Amino acid sequence: MRKFFTVFIASILVLSLACASSAKDTLVVADQYDPTTLDPIGHNDYPTSRACSHIYDTLIFLNHDGTLRPGLAEKWEFLSDTAYKMYLRKGVKFHNGDEMTAEDVKYSLERAKTPAGSHIHTYCQDLDHVEIVDPYTVIIHLKKVNYPFFSSLVHSWGSIVCKKVVEAAGEDYGMNPIGTGPFKFKEWAKGDHYTFERFDDYWGNKAKFKTLTVRSIPEPTNRTIELETGAVDIAYPVTTIELARIEENPELELQRKVIPSTTYMGFNLTKAPFNDVRVRKAISLLLDTVNIQRAVFRGVGQNPRSLIPEVTKYSINNELPAHVRDVEAAKKLFAEAGIDPTKLKITIRSNERKERIDMATIIQAQLAEVGIQSEIIQQEWGAYLSILQQKTHDVFLLGWGLSVPDPDYAVAGLLETNAGTNYTGTADPKLDEMLAKGRSLPDGEERAKVYREMQLYINDLCPMVYLHNDEAIAGVRKIVKGFEVDPFEVHSFRNVYFEE
Amino acid sequence: MLKYIFRRILMLIPVLLGVAFCVFTLLYFTPGDPARMVLGDLATDEAIKEFRDKEGLNDPFLVQFGNYVYKAVVHGDIGRSYSSKRPVMQEILTAFPYTLKLSAFAMIIAIIIGIPCGIISAIKQYSWFDTITMIFAMIGLSMPVFWLGLLLILFFAVRLRWLPSSGFSTFKAMILPSVALAAQSISMVTRMTRSSMLEVIRADYIRTARAKGQKESIVIGVHALRNALIPVVTLCGLQFGQLLSGAILTESIFAVPGVGRLMVNAIMSRDYPMVQGGVLFIAITFSIVNLLVDLLYAYIDPRIKAELK
Repeated sequence: MRKFFTVFIASILVLSLACASSAKDTLVVADQYDPTTLDPIGHNDYPTSRACSHIYDTLIFLNHDGTLRPGLAEKWEFLSDTAYKMYLRKGVKFHNGDEMTAEDVKYSLERAKTPAGSHIHTYCQDLDHVEIVDPYTVIIHLKKVNYPFFSSLVHSWGSIVCKKVVEAAGEDYGMNPIGTGPFKFKEWAKGDHYTFERFDDYWGNKAKFKTLTVRSIPEPTNRTIELETGAVDIAYPVTTIELARIEENPELELQRKVIPSTTYMGFNLTKAPFNDVRVRKAISLLLDTVNIQRAVFRGVGQNPRSLIPEVTKYSINNELPAHVRDVEAAKKLFAEAGIDPTKLKITIRSNERKERIDMATIIQAQLAEVGIQSEIIQQEWGAYLSILQQKTHDVFLLGWGLSVPDPDYAVAGLLETNAGTNYTGTADPKLDEMLAKGRSLPDGEERAKVYREMQLYINDLCPMVYLHNDEAIAGVRKIVKGFEVDPFEVHSFRNVYFEE
Repeated sequence: MLKYIFRRILMLIPVLLGVAFCVFTLLYFTPGDPARMVLGDLATDEAIKEFRDKEGLNDPFLVQFGNYVYKAVVHGDIGRSYSSKRPVMQEILTAFPYTLKLSAFAMIIAIIIGIPCGIISAIKQYSWFDTITMIFAMIGLSMPVFWLGLLLILFFAVRLRWLPSSGFSTFKAMILPSVALAAQSISMVTRMTRSSMLEVIRADYIRTARAKGQKESIVIGVHALRNALIPVVTLCGLQFGQLLSGAILTESIFAVPGVGRLMVNAIMSRDYPMVQGGVLFIAITFSIVNLLVDLLYAYIDPRIKAELK
């Protein structure tokens, strides 16, 4: 017993010594969730995109303002509407020492079309094939004209993998990734953290610290506590309730940016009475969305006025007037549509997100003012999605975020006829035509005009009521310099350093 | 003895089949299409159809179940996780050490605190120590672990800043979750030790021991304790088995990447193979722990050893 006790005490000592941290050469970040895989085409979620962005590079990079800059491709040329010629950077090394060539680019992009890439099918569906001109030049051929495709190359799916390594690893690739990015894979303790190390042969600016550790901490309060105690250097995302605590702490600072993500209340257009645009507009007029947003998000984000978020190109959000509640006008519209609001009974569906339930509760109260009875139904995500797919719902609260900076992605996924996530059941030939036209035009005034008209048209169609544009908020320790929160939520740590 | 062990292991088979069947049925009737959850809401209908065909999700219920059992028994393959694409067994084996460590720590704490407290409470029945211990045991038993966990975080991580609030990679980080998880076990062990001790010290053979002039410490430590421990060992075993099956709440609050969190995530994302594999694994662990407890039983209780022979 005595011996056991001695060993026990000794091991505690050894362990606590091992815990003592050394000089600051490690950046510790708290993220909400663990990546699902480290295969860049095996997912379509933010924590995984963030993890992949450290290991891999894409052909083109995305600036914080939504413009593009050269990545693994030094320059590019549009040969025609469906052929983009990409000149690859020379001397780029993979983490295993191999040089990146056209062969790898062709393999990476075409692999996305295989069943392994089903998550990101929506981005690569118009890709036909990649032609190798010489080891440093490729031509990307599309099946049909699709300009948003080019911007989508900045998404995780456009990451360049090493053909040799992926083919050798087969189905297990996601656990031992090799890329050309500024950090190379070291270890991944699933569900707890992953650790990457600086890649010293990186072609661009090398990272200024040696080790990057990203811990997954799902509880928002825990992320803040870890930030406060100095156990992590950057915590993301920060929720509304945590804001004040970080603001008041002199050692911490907040970084906030409005992001292209929209929370909305959608109508089921395939069901009466919501198939009548007058009813949809009347309900919209009953809601004081500006103050609902303010009450629930307390100063974070804003109430959108257009489906294309303010930060996305061609958005006319800031030119449109704010939404105004007008009960009398609503009553008139109900009368025109021949509907007695006091006899209307509807269900408002939402998943379990607290902010959405809060908004639904206020919506319920405001609808009740004219006698509309509504019931809020909260469902777990999987069950919720399957109800939405069956189109048996009335109205529902949902969000939509853009990972690719093109207005097409803001609209097509939600409103194009038969799109997988078109839960309003909108089927409007004119809108479909506008979307197709928008995709077929290169950036410029003509394209801007199409999206301007489209936004006005959608507001007139009123398939949904806009509730909230979210913000990306990160809590950062003040000794961390060079970090800037990314409005597309794929935060980069390439330029981060510590102030002594 | 070996025959007994063999029989017990054989009995595992119907238990596991039953468990597998129940989980399979429940998941089958849970709303939410796994194909949609796995492929994401951007996936096209063809991709979804292809996935359903490939994973056999369109087959009749019994065919699906049969295939699952066949693969598990014949090839030892319980599938690949839908979301991480890794073999389920590998995923569980990565998460299990965390749960094992957490449960072992919690159990050690429970035994180190619970048994002595129980013994003293019994010897000094109705003393102030007994009253206070019983009050604490009552509180520990009724305090929900998520509440206790948050209070511990608030006090030790936020206010005092002595311990980290989440994670499980350092010894310091293990303290809070283990203590939170142990609270209920401590209370149960204390109460069980106390009541079982009380029963034993009134027995005739204790009076005999005292009458023959045996030292009090030996009367309690050897004659009474050894007999009183038998139900406590059962309880500890059951508790340990339960802790091992994933302390879901504790693991979620303290961000411990153990089996419990793995299961919750799998359920949320409709990762069927993961959920099935996980529940089966838990059932096996639970049964094995029970078997070990029964064997331990034989070791400390000669009457049972005699029966087994």
